[in-house]
Amino acid sequence: MKKKSLLLMLTLLLVLSAFLAACSSGENAEEPAENDTETETPDDGTEDEGSEDDEASGEAQQGGTLTYGVDSAPEGLFNWAFYGIVTDADILALFDEGLIQYDENLAPEPNLATWETEDNQTFTFTFEEGVMWHDGVELTVHDWVFALETIADPDYDGPRFANVQTIEGAQAYRDGEADSISGLNVIDDYNIEVTFDKARVNNLVNVWAYPMSRAQFEGIPVAEMSASEQVRTKPVGLGPFKVDSITPGEAVIMTRFDDYWKGPANLDGINVQVIDNTTTVGALGNGDIDMISLQPVNGEEVEALDNVEVVTYPGLSYYYVGFKLGTFNSETNEIVEDKEKYADVNLRKAMAHAIDRQTWIDAFFFGYGSPVNGPVPSSHWIAADPEELATYDYDPEKAKELLAEAGYEDTNGDGFVEDPNGEEFVAKFSHYATGNPTFETRAQAIVQFWQEVGINAELEMAEVNLYYDMIEKDDPSIETFFGGWGTGADPDPTALWGSDQLWNYPRYKNEESDKLLADALDIEIVGDDQEARKDLYVEWQKMIAEDVPMIFIAQLEEIVALSSRVENVEYDVSGANSPHEWSIAQ
Amino acid sequence: MLKYTIRRIIGMIPMLLLISFVVFLLAKAMPGDSLSGEIDPNNTDPEYIEEMRERLGYNDPIIVQYFRWVGGFTQGDFGKSTRYKVPVADLVAERIPNTIFLGVTSLVITYILAFAMGIYAGRKPYTFGDNIIGGLNYLGLAIPSFIAAVFAIYFFSFNLGWIPYSGSVDPTLQPGTFDYWLSRIHHVIMPAIVLGALATASYTQFLRNDIIENSRKDFVRTARAKGTPTSKIYNVHIMRNSIIPLVTFLGFDIATLISGAIITETIFTYPGIGQLFLQSVTNRDYPTLMVITMMLSTLTLVGNLIADILYGVVDPRIRLDS
Repeated sequence: MKKKSLLLMLTLLLVLSAFLAACSSGENAEEPAENDTETETPDDGTEDEGSEDDEASGEAQQGGTLTYGVDSAPEGLFNWAFYGIVTDADILALFDEGLIQYDENLAPEPNLATWETEDNQTFTFTFEEGVMWHDGVELTVHDWVFALETIADPDYDGPRFANVQTIEGAQAYRDGEADSISGLNVIDDYNIEVTFDKARVNNLVNVWAYPMSRAQFEGIPVAEMSASEQVRTKPVGLGPFKVDSITPGEAVIMTRFDDYWKGPANLDGINVQVIDNTTTVGALGNGDIDMISLQPVNGEEVEALDNVEVVTYPGLSYYYVGFKLGTFNSETNEIVEDKEKYADVNLRKAMAHAIDRQTWIDAFFFGYGSPVNGPVPSSHWIAADPEELATYDYDPEKAKELLAEAGYEDTNGDGFVEDPNGEEFVAKFSHYATGNPTFETRAQAIVQFWQEVGINAELEMAEVNLYYDMIEKDDPSIETFFGGWGTGADPDPTALWGSDQLWNYPRYKNEESDKLLADALDIEIVGDDQEARKDLYVEWQKMIAEDVPMIFIAQLEEIVALSSRVENVEYDVSGANSPHEWSIAQ
Repeated sequence: MLKYTIRRIIGMIPMLLLISFVVFLLAKAMPGDSLSGEIDPNNTDPEYIEEMRERLGYNDPIIVQYFRWVGGFTQGDFGKSTRYKVPVADLVAERIPNTIFLGVTSLVITYILAFAMGIYAGRKPYTFGDNIIGGLNYLGLAIPSFIAAVFAIYFFSFNLGWIPYSGSVDPTLQPGTFDYWLSRIHHVIMPAIVLGALATASYTQFLRNDIIENSRKDFVRTARAKGTPTSKIYNVHIMRNSIIPLVTFLGFDIATLISGAIITETIFTYPGIGQLFLQSVTNRDYPTLMVITMMLSTLTLVGNLIADILYGVVDPRIRLDS
C-alpha cells in the first residue's frame, strides 16, 4: 500500500513537471518569436483630452503607489532614441513623453507642441512654454534639435534614423558634409521651422518627435550615449513621474513629478517590478501587482481572480500565412513573380477557405483575437469594412470546388489532389520554432485544415533566427509560411507591400498596388483629406484581399490585468491614457 | 608546488585559445545574428540593418572576425554588447555581485547541510534518521530545480508569504543600510536553497558513503583497538579521508559560483550572470556570449587547479612535488 501511494505520488509529480515545463517554456518563447507582432509605437500611453483631464483629476483619489509588472526584464535603454524592446518603451511611457500624441483613431494631436503647415513640407512647431525636465531645466526647441542631431550622427547606434532621414539635410549631416541639419530652422526657444525633403502626407507622423535633454547629455559623445547613466540608470524625462532609482533587470522606482506641465499626477508614484511569467497569476492574486500585460494563456486564470479585472483592447498586429510568389533581387531591389507553384489564385483561395480561423484562434489564443480579412487590423482607421472585402470564411466544400475549378483533382486515388499536370502536389508549410511547444501544434493544425480538403501538406519547423533569414533570401524550401506584422500609427504599408521592398515577403508584385500606395502618400492627390487617403487604402485592401498573396489569419487583442483598486485607467487602440490620470482607490 | 602551479597555468593558455576558437565558431554557426530580431517596418528599415551588419563586421570572413575579437580581448577590450549597447565588462560587472552572492549563499547552505546530514548518516547508517536523510536526498536529486523553484514560490511566497518571489532586493531601500542587506538575504535565501538542493543531496550521499566505507578500514580498527575515542576517530581519521571526493567538487563549485543557475535565476527573476548568458545566446549577442564563456572556462580550469592543489593539503599521500 505504501509503495503504491508513493508510486502514485511520483507519477503525479512527473505529469505535473511535464505540464509545468510545457507552460513555462511556452510563455517565455512567445515574445521573440512573433516577428514584431507587438510593435509599439512609442506614442503609447500619452493619449488624453484636456477637458476630460480636469474632470478626471477632480474626482480621482490622490496618493498611493501603483505596482506595474513587466514579465520580461528591460534592457535598460531608457531613452526614446535608443530603446530597442517593448518592455523598455512601456516603462519609458510612464516618465517621458513626446511632442505629438495619438488619439483613439491614431490621428496625431498636439501634446508638448502644436504645429502648422501650409504645404506639408515645411512645418512650424510651437512648444508649450514652461514644460520642465525632471532636472528642473525648461524644455526648449533646442532639446528637440539635439535629439534629431543625435540620431542623425554617424556614431549613433540605434535604429531611428529612418524617422529623421526625411528632414532636409539630415543625410548630408550624417555623411559629414554639413555641421547642422539644414532643414531645422530655430526661430526662438519655443518656435522651430522644420523643412522636409519633400511634401508628404505622413511627414508629421513619421518624424522623430521626442526631445532629448541637452543639458543632461552635455559633453557625452554620441557613440557613448547608449551606455551612459543618463540613458541607463538616471534618465530624465518630461512625464508625470520621475525616475528615482533603477535596479537593473529588476525594478524601476518612480515618484510623482510635481512640476509636470499638466499638473501633478494623482498617484504618489509607480514601482515597476520585473517578474517571471510563471508567477504572474500568483502575484496578481496576492495583490502584489496592480497592472500587467498578460499572455493569452494566462487570461482565463486571471479572469477567475476576484481582485483583478481583465481588460482587452484592440491590437495593431496580425498573423498571416504567406505564399512565396517570386524572388527578390537585392542588387536591383526588384521583385520578379517567378514562382509558379502558387501562381493560381483559385488554389490560394481554396487554401484560404480551408482554414477554420475562429477555431484556430480559440484553440491557440484562448479567444483573445478574431479573424482578420486584410493586411490592416480592423481597429485601424484605414481598415476597410469587411463587407467590402473578399472574405474567405471556413468553407471546405467551396475550397474543394475551387480546387476542382483550378484543375487540382485526385487522379491517382490517394485521397489528395494532384496538380493540373497530374503530378503529385504537396504544399509545404513553414513555421518558426522556438522553445514554445504550441507553435508546432498550431502549425500542424493549419496543415490538417489543408489535408481535410484534399491538399497534401507537410509542415517544416525552422529555428526562428534561421526562419526569417530563409524567407528573406527566398530559400527554395519556403513555399507557404507563417508570419506576423504590426501596424504603426502611420498606416503606410509600403515597406511591406511595395514591389521594391525586401520585407515584401510573399514577393507580391502588382503595379496597381504600388500606384495606390504611392497615391495615398502623394500630397497632390490626397492633400489634407484623410478620407481621400483612406479611400485609396480601402481600394488597395480590396485588391489584396482579391489577390490573396497571403491568407490573413488573426488579429490579436492586447490583454491587461488591472487590480480592482486601480481607477481611471483607460485603453484604446493607441494604448493606455496618460499615467498622470491614473489613481488608486484608498 | 609553485612550479607545478605555474606549469598548469601556462598550460591553460592553449586550452583557452582552443575553447575560444570553438565557441566563437559555434556561436557564429548559429543561424541569424543579433539583428535578426529587429525586422520591424515601424521602427526601422532594411538599410539600417544592412548598415549595422557592415559596421559590426558581420560581413567579414569568420577568421577575420575571430582574430579581430581575440585581438581586442587580449588587450582588455571585451567589446560592446550588441543588445544592451554597453561595454560587456560593465554589463558583467553589474550582474556579477548578485550571482556571487547567490552562489556563495547557496554553497554555504549546501556545505552546512551536506556536512551535518552526511556525518550523521555516515555515523549511524541504516537507522531511521539515515533513511529519512536518504529519502530527502533522493527527492532532491529527482526534482528538477525549475519544478522546485515554482513549488517553492507557490508555497512559501504565495501561500505563506514568507519569501519574495522576484528580484534581488527591495528596490525602495537605500543601498548599504542594514535593512538593505537584510532584504538581500531575504531575497537570496530561497533561490539559494533551490539551487543548492541538488548539490546538497549528492554531497551528503558521497560523504555518507565514504564515512561508512572508511569506518570499516584497517586503520580505523587499529585506532579503535588503541582506544582512541570514537569522536576523534570520526572527526580526524575518517573525516580527512572522506572529504577527498568533495574536494574535487569544490573546483567545479568555483565555476558554478559565477555561472549561477540559468533556470533558477530566471524563475526568481534574479538578475545574474546565468540569466544574462541565456539571453546573450538567444539574442546572438556575441561579445557578451564570448566574455561569459571565457570567464566560465577560465574559472573551471582554475577551479580544477585549486582542487588538485587542495588534494595535497587534505591528503599527504598525493602531495605533488616537494
